[in-house]
Amino acid sequence: MNILIPHTWLKEHLETEADPKTIQKNVSLCGPSVERIYDIEGDNVYDIEVTTNRVDSMSVRGIARETAVILKQFDIKAELKPLTLLEDLQPEVEPLPLPKIINDPELSKRVICVVLQGVKRNPTPEWMAKRLLQTEQNVHDAVIDITNYVTHELGHPCHAFDYDKLMNTGGEINIVEAKSNETFTTLDGNEFTTVGGEVVFKNGEGEIIDLPSIKGTVNTSIDDSTQNVLLLLESITAEKVRFASMTHAIRTTAAQLMEKHVDPELAKTVLLRGVELYRELCEAKIASPIYDDFPGKVEPTPVIVPLHRITDYLGLTIETDRIVSILETLGCTTTVSDEVLTVTPPTFRPDIAIPADVIEEIARIYGYHNLPSTLMDTPIPTTKPSDVDFVLENRIKHFLANIGWQEIYSYSMVSEAIAKQSGYALDGHLALQNPLTDDRIYMRRSLVPSLEEIIAQNAREEHLSVFEIANVYHPLAHQLPSQELMLTMVSTDQYTTVKGALEAVMCQFFVENVKVKPIDGSHLCNSVQCGEVWVGNNLLGSIMVLPTGHTAAELQISQLMKVAQKHPTYHSIPKTAEVREDITLTLPEKTLVGEVIKTLQSSHELITSIELKDVYHQNYTFAITYWQPEENLSSADVEPARKALVEAAEAQYSAQLVGEI
Amino acid sequence: MTTAEYSQKLDTVVTELKTALQSATSSETVEALKTEYLGKKGSFTLLSKQIKDVDDKKEAGQLLNTTKQTLEDMLATARTTAAKKLAWIDLTMPGKKPEVGHTHPVSQAMEEITHIFEQIGFTRVRYPEVDWDHYVFEALNMPKSHPARDEWETFFVDAPVDNQMGKMVLTTHTSNGQVREMERLNSQPPIRMINIARCYRRQQDATHTQMFHQFEGLVVDKGITIQHLKGTLDYFAEQFYGPGTKSRIRPFHFQFTEPSFEVDFSCQICHGTGYLDDAETQKCRFCKSGWHEVGGAGMVHPNVLKAGGIDPDEYTGFAFGWGIERTYTLKEGLNLDDIRLLYSGDLRFLHQF
Repeated sequence: MNILIPHTWLKEHLETEADPKTIQKNVSLCGPSVERIYDIEGDNVYDIEVTTNRVDSMSVRGIARETAVILKQFDIKAELKPLTLLEDLQPEVEPLPLPKIINDPELSKRVICVVLQGVKRNPTPEWMAKRLLQTEQNVHDAVIDITNYVTHELGHPCHAFDYDKLMNTGGEINIVEAKSNETFTTLDGNEFTTVGGEVVFKNGEGEIIDLPSIKGTVNTSIDDSTQNVLLLLESITAEKVRFASMTHAIRTTAAQLMEKHVDPELAKTVLLRGVELYRELCEAKIASPIYDDFPGKVEPTPVIVPLHRITDYLGLTIETDRIVSILETLGCTTTVSDEVLTVTPPTFRPDIAIPADVIEEIARIYGYHNLPSTLMDTPIPTTKPSDVDFVLENRIKHFLANIGWQEIYSYSMVSEAIAKQSGYALDGHLALQNPLTDDRIYMRRSLVPSLEEIIAQNAREEHLSVFEIANVYHPLAHQLPSQELMLTMVSTDQYTTVKGALEAVMCQFFVENVKVKPIDGSHLCNSVQCGEVWVGNNLLGSIMVLPTGHTAAELQISQLMKVAQKHPTYHSIPKTAEVREDITLTLPEKTLVGEVIKTLQSSHELITSIELKDVYHQNYTFAITYWQPEENLSSADVEPARKALVEAAEAQYSAQLVGEI
Repeated sequence: MTTAEYSQKLDTVVTELKTALQSATSSETVEALKTEYLGKKGSFTLLSKQIKDVDDKKEAGQLLNTTKQTLEDMLATARTTAAKKLAWIDLTMPGKKPEVGHTHPVSQAMEEITHIFEQIGFTRVRYPEVDWDHYVFEALNMPKSHPARDEWETFFVDAPVDNQMGKMVLTTHTSNGQVREMERLNSQPPIRMINIARCYRRQQDATHTQMFHQFEGLVVDKGITIQHLKGTLDYFAEQFYGPGTKSRIRPFHFQFTEPSFEVDFSCQICHGTGYLDDAETQKCRFCKSGWHEVGGAGMVHPNVLKAGGIDPDEYTGFAFGWGIERTYTLKEGLNLDDIRLLYSGDLRFLHQF
């Protein structure tokens, strides 16, 4: 999360001569990233990204502390200024009773509060209003704004209750988990119903009077009539804060801080600073001793780091003195004995928990930019995955592109309409629980409808051939879906052109004999005609004519990998000459010419190849090649073969020869 | 017959062809003459058969060879001359290009990235795009309901929760490949993996698409240090963006690496200075400050190594990963104002690549 820090506010906590640019550059290299410097209300305001593990830096003082450590590494003078707060607060007026607070140590690590009497509703002073505006916070009046100001300055959220409202309903604060179906209204007037498990404050009558560490409720919050304030800080368990905040989508700054483990030790400092400001700006009088119940106080756990581990990560050895000095400027205490470093982090650094965390601190302050850069000299792994062939995929892509096909990347998630066009039932698709938009709900089972959609969107193109290599997702019971990589081609060109392209792709991998078996009644992609694509005993996919008249083909890459060859099988170049001639046959309608070719091919041993040369209505012209290895064929040799061919065609397909033989 | 007599006869043939060629203006005539002289019944061919009547056959043989060569040369020259007499062609006419398609820019980027990493011993892999929470988060040191998960706007699949593996999700990053790769290699380093895949997050604007692509590197072995990560990033920067491009790592936080880094590459236009001139008066418009933020990296967290069955006391490793789209569009001239174009299927866009 990002935090805005005005330069002048920072300087209240940091003694340095460094200018904003220098601070930005150096802090970004070794600490949080200072993304931008804005000019707001005549001052430089840093926009700093603080990572989720460093909630201690989510305040002006936190950033000042980091900046001081980092600038020193660059030999720039910088010191964190001490906080001078009045520690020993005593009631200044006739004491008012504190509410009765019943805490559950499992729910709140600490509760600290004080009563302030006679709080004047003074306007927020100009200097404070300016800083609140610079940090994009609303300005109300001083009583309200002080809490936001100290939170931003020091990093622990705090809440100002209307003391009299609280006392009028029994003067009790019970820190408990809510049951389900309880209601509360936040100070901005929104009503909520609990799901159960949210940590809440309840009064003696069981009414919810606060959503602690997240947001106040209207029944105890400050309003125009407020005269006395109970300034209170609690430290609700981070997980519980997150649960309630996420459940009800109340993502206040307080919640976003508290869910990241704000140091409860900080609570007292913030309370004291708050009191100081209430006295100064609202003429408030301290009307109770400080109540401080701190059952969750823990001593930080030391982390033990063998010194050689630091070298293992950095690839070089840093002198022990330097290591110790870096850690101590960060607030850690350290001891070194027998080449083992023991580091006790400060309470505000719970993120330092394992040796790698300590190493990170040393390395970043030492400066990543000071480490050399070198490539690995370790062994190169040679165990490759067997189920992928990226070379094959790339060759297909380049080949198709080179013969005029355009590669597409379309979304894996599709709309209901597109999902249905696959021919699979809608409930046979994997669906997203939380789609972002209506057009991306179902995990597609075919790429064909997506590519059809793209062809339709590019209607200005006279003819268009597109392809994509991507997964389709077929649901399986109790396991991940089958995620099958498909080569899918869709074209406005006629069937034979697309089939030819498909065959040409296969030729790249020395695969001949691609057979298409027409299948009746296929619902695949609502096609009007569909055939299975076979190579030997491997079913590779299908080719189909779509309702638009476009042609589509889908091949499973995994099946293609099975039949693909790395090189051809060489046949010696014939020593004898081939004889070629054309023969035209009239075939009855709907004769499967693929079958005819197969028959003709095997009708005589001299026939080595048959190619379909031309089709005119029902007249099919075939180019026939005759050949034998021993000697050149004479026309007398060819005659019986020709006769056998024509007879086979006539007998099996009722074909008629055009012309004479 | 003597050799001299034979030689004379051969010369006559050469002379005859020479005369004939002088009046041959078309390629067809040249080809006809070739048959007339060198064909099966051509005058040279017939003459060559008379060699059996010559006294010195060895010498005659040599004469035949030289004569044949001469005839062929003459014919070749005549062919070229005849060709020049073809109809005039305007050589400035625009060429007729064959119709070609294009591979998608993301494919082009992936291929380039794969090639770069393969040269330094990385193996490209592929893992599921619909995967278990276990591989996407849990095994990466991100326990359930950890705030760090907020950064990943996760799509959940409407499927039963698995007792061990958790929810079924669309992969929000390619890091699900980390523990899967350790498992593939039976927890036996060395590992040098590059995983490039489709990823999904619930966000959509000019710089984000619900589907995008990431690439992820993972190296695990004995003695792997931050210096090796820096070396790998520098190598990639130079190869992908051109000589002189540098990488830079800055502190960051990810649950699955410790230490964690943000990775920047120096701007190719201003070479990391942020200015176009030495006097620093003209700001570079291509970058913010001389550097482009591209992604994340870090030393593999001990818990992640453990989840993959690898002893973190014995091995160290680094990982890095970021978006293909951003990496690619940082190249000069590819500064797309809206990356949604990549997945729009708009041919006016795709035809440019």
